[in-house]
Amino acid sequence: MSIESAQMTHAGGIAGHIHPEPQGFVRRYVFSIDHKIIGIQYIITAFVFFMLSGLLAETIRTQLLNANGGFVSPETYNEVYSVHGSAMVWLVVIPLLTGGFGNLIFPLQIGARDVAFPWLNMLSFWIFPVAGLMLFSSFLMGAPTAGWTEYPPVSLQGSAGTSMWAAAIFLVGVSSTLTGINFVVTLVKMRAPGMTFTRMPLFCWGQFATAPLLMIATTALAAALAALFMERVFGVPFYDPTKGGSPVLWQHMFWFYSHPAVYIMILPAFGIISEVLPTFARKPIFGYKLIAFSSMAIALAGFMVWAHHMFTSGLAPYLQLPFMILTFAIGIPTGIKIFSWTATLWGGKIHLTSAMLFAIGFIALFTCGGITGIFLAAVPYDLDVHGTYFVVAHFHYVLVGGSLMGVFAGMYYWFPKMSGRLLNETLGKIHFWLFFIGFNGTFLPMHWLGIEGMPRWVATYDPQFEFWNRFASVSSYVMGIGILVFFVNVLWSIRAGKKSGPNPWNGRTLEWMIPSPPHYYNFKNIPTVYGLPYDFSHPLPYTGLEEELTDAPPALAAGAH
Amino acid sequence: MAVASIAHGSAHGDGADQLYVETRELRLQGFLLFLVSDCVLFSSFIFAYLYLRNSGQGWPPPGIKRLDVAFAAWNSVLLFGSGATMHYALENWKHGNFMKYMWMLIFTIILGAGFLGGQAYEYTHLIVAEHVSWWGSGIFGASFFTLTGMHGFHVFVGVCYLTVLLLQSAAGVYTGQKYFGITAGTLYWHFVDVIWVVLFSIFYLI
Ligand SMILES: [Cu+2]
Repeated sequence: MSIESAQMTHAGGIAGHIHPEPQGFVRRYVFSIDHKIIGIQYIITAFVFFMLSGLLAETIRTQLLNANGGFVSPETYNEVYSVHGSAMVWLVVIPLLTGGFGNLIFPLQIGARDVAFPWLNMLSFWIFPVAGLMLFSSFLMGAPTAGWTEYPPVSLQGSAGTSMWAAAIFLVGVSSTLTGINFVVTLVKMRAPGMTFTRMPLFCWGQFATAPLLMIATTALAAALAALFMERVFGVPFYDPTKGGSPVLWQHMFWFYSHPAVYIMILPAFGIISEVLPTFARKPIFGYKLIAFSSMAIALAGFMVWAHHMFTSGLAPYLQLPFMILTFAIGIPTGIKIFSWTATLWGGKIHLTSAMLFAIGFIALFTCGGITGIFLAAVPYDLDVHGTYFVVAHFHYVLVGGSLMGVFAGMYYWFPKMSGRLLNETLGKIHFWLFFIGFNGTFLPMHWLGIEGMPRWVATYDPQFEFWNRFASVSSYVMGIGILVFFVNVLWSIRAGKKSGPNPWNGRTLEWMIPSPPHYYNFKNIPTVYGLPYDFSHPLPYTGLEEELTDAPPALAAGAH
Repeated sequence: MAVASIAHGSAHGDGADQLYVETRELRLQGFLLFLVSDCVLFSSFIFAYLYLRNSGQGWPPPGIKRLDVAFAAWNSVLLFGSGATMHYALENWKHGNFMKYMWMLIFTIILGAGFLGGQAYEYTHLIVAEHVSWWGSGIFGASFFTLTGMHGFHVFVGVCYLTVLLLQSAAGVYTGQKYFGITAGTLYWHFVDVIWVVLFSIFYLI
């Protein structure tokens, strides 16, 4: 390569700077600083925890097959649902969507060589499995029994595993905070030339709205957890009312984090859906700016609605009204997204691949979950169904029907980018239908179970609810089989799946312009961006990508060696 | 040119400086965001303190004396003074006055350590003479020792960091262009100062 051409492409700096390729298995695949490897590490680890918490979920459903339980003891049952909830939120959905898909995809989509702080990224990852093992090891010393929310005073009285739980979640929080900082800096500072904010793919916007939540909200949870830990271990009173503390203080601090946390769990999934829909409808996304800015609006408003979880906790009536209205208001930006996605499908040339099925399933199920969310935000209705199965139905529709469907859509869509091979489409469709039917069979009946008054958190229940509980349990096994099909598909396809080539879906975002899997340096030349990726009838809005799929070596910084 | 030769080296020239400028910006922004999340940590505990304080039992709770404002005020002067010396340390560094920079840094470390000594004295006095403890004095002890302890820990970390900075500067680690460590130390120290303004107001003044 001539010196002139090198100088023309780069004036040095990070874009022109390529680290030496790491050598050896440990540096490449274990303690890797490559964002793509770290993303895959997150995804694998989170799916292992997903299997474990899925087993816990099936334990719950098996217990509820009979009105008088009998599968596990009531104490064990409490431990099982508490760890199931905590693990699904902190060890499965959040790591999959932020550390997993976030790491794997968005640096490629903005045309960067890596995240801003690769070593910090490695640290974030390695905290996560350690914390996960701590959480599951709490079973050995008596796991927490107060649900994933661990309200005092019950959590103050729980056995030693509750302290372990607090420490584990604190550590996951540290990992999340570091990831948030890393992602914000990367998205602000490391976009390719010409990639303005309003040219970023919508998945990047999803991460851009999520990262500040990871950074700010998680720290508030850390404080609440630290106080709980200090109270349990050193007897420092914060929450114990007999020593002047307040259990409601925990609820404020916990929900100040955990309401934004539900957006941490859904905004990246919104991003995935916004990539999958236009690709398989072969049509520009409808309302790009509306989708992007409504994510930011949701993230911001998410900090002002936490007390809608506390309508039955003695919140003053003059505070209930504003929290109710603000929560209703979040339905507006969310509705805008649903509208935009539906309009994207309208008149499109729809390819019903597995990824697309999950994306369309997402729209349907998330809309149901969103609507019951509006129900629950209404104070009078919430007073009626708070603590019943209606709430369980609601949040499983948004977290499983929403976030997890988004994860599966992302897996089918980006698996080729991770591995260079396609997931099997037939198995994918079997997975989708088993999962979709099983999911609705499990959680739809919970709506009316809740309205009729079946309480959450109980190991036995009134015999009048037995039929629908059995229906839900059997459906949950169908859903479980669907997930097994998915795991079989992944394990089979990674060895024997069809070779995908760089761009199996005719995608238009930058990650599809480079080989699958990409080189460790991602791009040979950092491309220049001239427009949005979604204009399907136009030529691609990039230059500088000519050499990506050839054997040419990567370009170098001027003055390099 | 072969892929294998793409590596770091000392012969970077202009490209290396550009790289340094960009990574400095990244690190600066990352560090500021770290301070933001640290600030949220303090804010959450401050919220908890104010929430408990206003839960209706009067403040200070029955049987506990008000905190000694005068001593804490003198101690605060040490910390605020160290903020000023740290500011001049960075300014002197930027203007190339190496010896003045070193002296200002030494003053900052001494003042910071002095503040910690004052805090240790205050804690001892509270625990021994007034029988106030972290776990045994209800929400008063819990909030006071947790928040001021967290702050004290931040000061302690700062003093350690500034000492490392002093040794590194003496060893010539930093240059006229490359001194991100000093900038970060200064930002951190000012952050700790500002947190103390808030803590002093809510524990001693109101
Ligand atoms: Cu909420």
